[in-house]
Amino acid sequence: MKNRFLVGGPITPLLISELMTLGSDDNGTGAVSVFIGKVRDDETDGKRVKAIEYSAYEDMVIKEADEIIRTVRSAFSDVRTVMIVHSVGIVKAGEASLFIMVTSGHRDQGTRGCRHTLEMVKEKLPVWKKEIY
Amino acid sequence: MEAEVRVLFFGAAQEATGRTEETFRAGDTASLRRIITDKYPSLAIIPFRLALNRTMLKDDSDLEKNDVIAILPPFQGG
Repeated sequence: MKNRFLVGGPITPLLISELMTLGSDDNGTGAVSVFIGKVRDDETDGKRVKAIEYSAYEDMVIKEADEIIRTVRSAFSDVRTVMIVHSVGIVKAGEASLFIMVTSGHRDQGTRGCRHTLEMVKEKLPVWKKEIY
Repeated sequence: MEAEVRVLFFGAAQEATGRTEETFRAGDTASLRRIITDKYPSLAIIPFRLALNRTMLKDDSDLEKNDVIAILPPFQGG
Protein backbone atom coordinates (compact mmCIF):
# COMPACT_ATOMS: atom_id res chain seq x y z
CA MET A 1 0.00 0.00 0.00
CA LYS A 2 1.33 3.48 -0.94
CA ASN A 3 -0.88 4.99 1.75
CA ARG A 4 -4.06 3.73 3.39
CA PHE A 5 -6.15 4.57 0.29
CA LEU A 6 -3.81 3.75 -2.61
CA VAL A 7 -2.12 0.55 -3.69
CA GLY A 8 0.43 0.12 -6.47
CA GLY A 9 -0.93 -2.20 -9.20
CA PRO A 10 -4.12 -4.28 -9.07
CA ILE A 11 -6.18 -4.99 -5.98
CA THR A 12 -5.56 -8.71 -5.84
CA PRO A 13 -7.89 -11.36 -4.40
CA LEU A 14 -5.33 -11.83 -1.62
CA LEU A 15 -5.41 -8.12 -0.74
CA ILE A 16 -9.21 -8.15 -0.84
CA SER A 17 -9.33 -11.04 1.60
CA GLU A 18 -6.88 -9.23 3.89
CA LEU A 19 -8.90 -5.99 3.72
CA MET A 20 -12.08 -7.88 4.54
CA THR A 21 -10.63 -9.23 7.76
CA LEU A 22 -10.09 -5.68 9.05
CA GLY A 23 -12.78 -4.85 11.57
CA SER A 24 -14.09 -8.41 11.54
CA ASP A 25 -13.80 -8.52 15.33
CA ASP A 26 -16.58 -5.91 15.63
CA ASN A 27 -19.51 -8.06 16.73
CA GLY A 28 -21.91 -5.12 16.38
CA THR A 29 -21.55 -5.39 12.60
CA GLY A 30 -24.47 -7.22 10.99
CA ALA A 31 -23.79 -6.31 7.35
CA VAL A 32 -20.68 -5.98 5.21
CA SER A 33 -21.30 -4.27 1.85
CA VAL A 34 -18.55 -4.47 -0.75
CA PHE A 35 -18.07 -2.90 -4.18
CA ILE A 36 -15.20 -4.00 -6.41
CA GLY A 37 -14.48 -2.08 -9.60
CA LYS A 38 -12.64 -3.93 -12.40
CA VAL A 39 -10.93 -2.90 -15.63
CA ARG A 40 -13.05 -3.78 -18.70
CA ASP A 41 -11.53 -4.80 -22.04
CA ASP A 42 -13.54 -2.15 -23.92
CA GLU A 43 -13.03 -1.79 -27.66
CA THR A 44 -12.52 1.65 -29.25
CA ASP A 45 -11.83 2.15 -32.97
CA GLY A 46 -11.03 -1.53 -33.34
CA LYS A 47 -8.53 -1.49 -30.46
CA ARG A 48 -9.16 -3.45 -27.30
CA VAL A 49 -8.09 -2.17 -23.88
CA LYS A 50 -5.35 -4.39 -22.44
CA ALA A 51 -4.83 -2.40 -19.24
CA ILE A 52 -5.36 0.97 -17.61
CA GLU A 53 -2.62 3.04 -16.04
CA TYR A 54 -3.99 5.02 -13.09
CA SER A 55 -2.35 8.11 -11.63
CA ALA A 56 -3.36 10.15 -8.59
CA TYR A 57 -2.69 13.35 -6.69
CA GLU A 58 -1.69 11.29 -3.72
CA ASP A 59 -1.68 13.99 -1.03
CA MET A 60 -5.14 15.15 -2.07
CA VAL A 61 -6.48 11.59 -2.26
CA ILE A 62 -5.81 11.23 1.48
CA LYS A 63 -7.66 14.47 2.26
CA GLU A 64 -10.63 13.74 -0.04
CA ALA A 65 -11.01 10.08 0.99
CA ASP A 66 -11.01 11.08 4.66
CA GLU A 67 -13.71 13.66 3.85
CA ILE A 68 -15.79 11.07 1.93
CA ILE A 69 -15.61 8.70 4.89
CA ARG A 70 -16.65 11.45 7.33
CA THR A 71 -19.57 12.42 5.07
CA VAL A 72 -20.85 8.85 4.69
CA ARG A 73 -20.55 8.11 8.39
CA SER A 74 -22.48 11.25 9.30
CA ALA A 75 -25.17 10.64 6.63
CA PHE A 76 -25.74 7.00 7.65
CA SER A 77 -25.77 6.64 11.43
CA ASP A 78 -25.84 2.83 11.28
CA VAL A 79 -22.58 2.72 9.27
CA ARG A 80 -19.67 1.61 11.45
CA THR A 81 -16.64 1.64 9.09
CA VAL A 82 -15.92 2.78 5.54
CA MET A 83 -12.89 1.58 3.60
CA ILE A 84 -11.72 2.93 0.23
CA VAL A 85 -8.74 1.51 -1.69
CA HIS A 86 -7.85 2.56 -5.26
CA SER A 87 -5.07 1.37 -7.56
CA VAL A 88 -2.33 3.51 -9.04
CA GLY A 89 -0.08 2.21 -11.81
CA ILE A 90 -0.99 -0.48 -14.30
CA VAL A 91 -4.05 -2.68 -13.84
CA LYS A 92 -4.79 -5.27 -16.55
CA ALA A 93 -8.25 -5.97 -17.98
CA GLY A 94 -10.06 -8.31 -15.63
CA GLU A 95 -8.18 -7.10 -12.57
CA ALA A 96 -9.66 -4.95 -9.80
CA SER A 97 -8.80 -1.27 -9.41
CA LEU A 98 -11.24 -0.13 -6.72
CA PHE A 99 -12.36 -1.68 -3.44
CA ILE A 100 -15.02 -0.16 -1.19
CA MET A 101 -16.24 -1.83 1.99
CA VAL A 102 -18.88 -0.46 4.35
CA THR A 103 -19.78 -2.23 7.57
CA SER A 104 -23.03 -1.45 9.33
CA GLY A 105 -25.40 -2.75 11.94
CA HIS A 106 -28.04 -3.59 9.33
CA ARG A 107 -28.18 -4.06 5.55
CA ASP A 108 -30.15 -1.02 4.42
CA GLN A 109 -27.79 1.76 5.44
CA GLY A 110 -24.79 -0.41 4.61
CA THR A 111 -25.77 -0.99 0.99
CA ARG A 112 -26.89 2.62 0.51
CA GLY A 113 -23.72 3.89 2.23
CA CYS A 114 -21.60 1.72 -0.07
CA ARG A 115 -23.32 3.13 -3.17
CA HIS A 116 -22.99 6.69 -1.84
CA THR A 117 -19.28 6.12 -1.15
CA LEU A 118 -18.80 4.87 -4.72
CA GLU A 119 -20.51 7.91 -6.24
CA MET A 120 -18.41 10.26 -4.10
CA VAL A 121 -15.20 8.43 -5.06
CA LYS A 122 -16.10 8.92 -8.74
CA GLU A 123 -16.83 12.61 -8.16
CA LYS A 124 -14.17 13.67 -5.67
CA LEU A 125 -11.13 11.38 -5.73
CA PRO A 126 -8.31 12.96 -7.79
CA VAL A 127 -7.47 9.91 -9.89
CA TRP A 128 -6.92 9.73 -13.66
CA LYS A 129 -6.61 6.89 -16.12
CA LYS A 130 -4.89 6.18 -19.39
CA GLU A 131 -5.97 3.25 -21.52
CA ILE A 132 -3.27 0.90 -22.79
CA TYR A 133 -4.14 -0.98 -26.01
CA MET B 1 1.76 41.31 -5.34
CA GLU B 2 3.18 38.40 -7.32
CA ALA B 3 4.24 35.23 -5.57
CA GLU B 4 6.28 32.25 -6.68
CA VAL B 5 4.08 29.15 -6.61
CA ARG B 6 4.54 25.50 -7.43
CA VAL B 7 2.16 24.16 -10.10
CA LEU B 8 1.44 20.43 -10.40
CA PHE B 9 0.02 18.90 -13.58
CA PHE B 10 -2.11 15.75 -13.58
CA GLY B 11 -3.82 13.43 -16.06
CA ALA B 12 -4.38 14.95 -19.51
CA ALA B 13 -2.77 18.21 -18.33
CA GLN B 14 0.46 16.30 -17.78
CA GLU B 15 0.31 14.93 -21.32
CA ALA B 16 -0.57 18.35 -22.79
CA THR B 17 2.39 20.09 -21.14
CA GLY B 18 4.89 17.24 -20.94
CA ARG B 19 5.51 18.26 -17.35
CA THR B 20 4.61 17.01 -13.90
CA GLU B 21 5.36 20.32 -12.18
CA GLU B 22 6.75 23.80 -12.77
CA THR B 23 7.27 27.05 -10.88
CA PHE B 24 5.36 30.20 -11.91
CA ARG B 25 4.99 33.75 -10.63
CA ALA B 26 1.48 35.21 -10.36
CA GLY B 27 -0.62 37.38 -8.07
CA ASP B 28 -3.81 35.34 -8.17
CA THR B 29 -5.23 32.16 -9.68
CA ALA B 30 -7.01 33.98 -12.54
CA SER B 31 -3.73 35.45 -13.81
CA LEU B 32 -1.91 32.18 -13.14
CA ARG B 33 -4.44 30.35 -15.31
CA ARG B 34 -3.82 32.85 -18.14
CA ILE B 35 -0.04 32.59 -17.79
CA ILE B 36 -0.13 28.79 -17.91
CA THR B 37 -2.51 28.53 -20.87
CA ASP B 38 -0.47 31.18 -22.76
CA LYS B 39 2.63 29.06 -22.26
CA TYR B 40 0.83 25.78 -23.03
CA PRO B 41 -1.94 26.53 -25.57
CA SER B 42 -2.82 22.81 -25.72
CA LEU B 43 -4.08 23.14 -22.13
CA ALA B 44 -6.77 25.59 -23.25
CA ILE B 45 -8.81 22.78 -24.85
CA ILE B 46 -8.72 20.60 -21.74
CA PRO B 47 -11.35 21.30 -19.09
CA PHE B 48 -9.63 21.59 -15.72
CA ARG B 49 -10.18 22.89 -12.21
CA LEU B 50 -7.61 24.20 -9.78
CA ALA B 51 -6.77 23.06 -6.27
CA LEU B 52 -4.91 25.37 -3.91
CA ASN B 53 -2.91 23.56 -1.26
CA ARG B 54 -4.97 20.37 -1.81
CA THR B 55 -8.33 22.15 -1.58
CA MET B 56 -10.53 22.49 -4.65
CA LEU B 57 -11.01 26.14 -5.58
CA LYS B 58 -14.55 27.39 -6.15
CA ASP B 59 -13.52 31.00 -6.80
CA ASP B 60 -10.33 32.73 -7.80
CA SER B 61 -7.92 33.35 -4.97
CA ASP B 62 -4.86 35.45 -4.20
CA LEU B 63 -1.59 33.55 -4.16
CA GLU B 64 1.13 33.50 -1.54
CA LYS B 65 4.72 32.35 -1.74
CA ASN B 66 5.09 28.55 -1.67
CA ASP B 67 1.42 27.90 -2.44
CA VAL B 68 0.87 24.65 -4.35
CA ILE B 69 -1.58 24.83 -7.25
CA ALA B 70 -2.75 21.63 -8.92
CA ILE B 71 -4.17 21.51 -12.46
CA LEU B 72 -6.91 18.90 -12.25
CA PRO B 73 -8.66 17.58 -15.38
CA PRO B 74 -11.96 15.71 -14.76
CA PHE B 75 -11.46 12.83 -12.34
CA GLN B 76 -11.59 9.29 -13.78
CA GLY B 77 -11.27 6.99 -10.79
CA GLY B 78 -13.20 3.79 -10.30
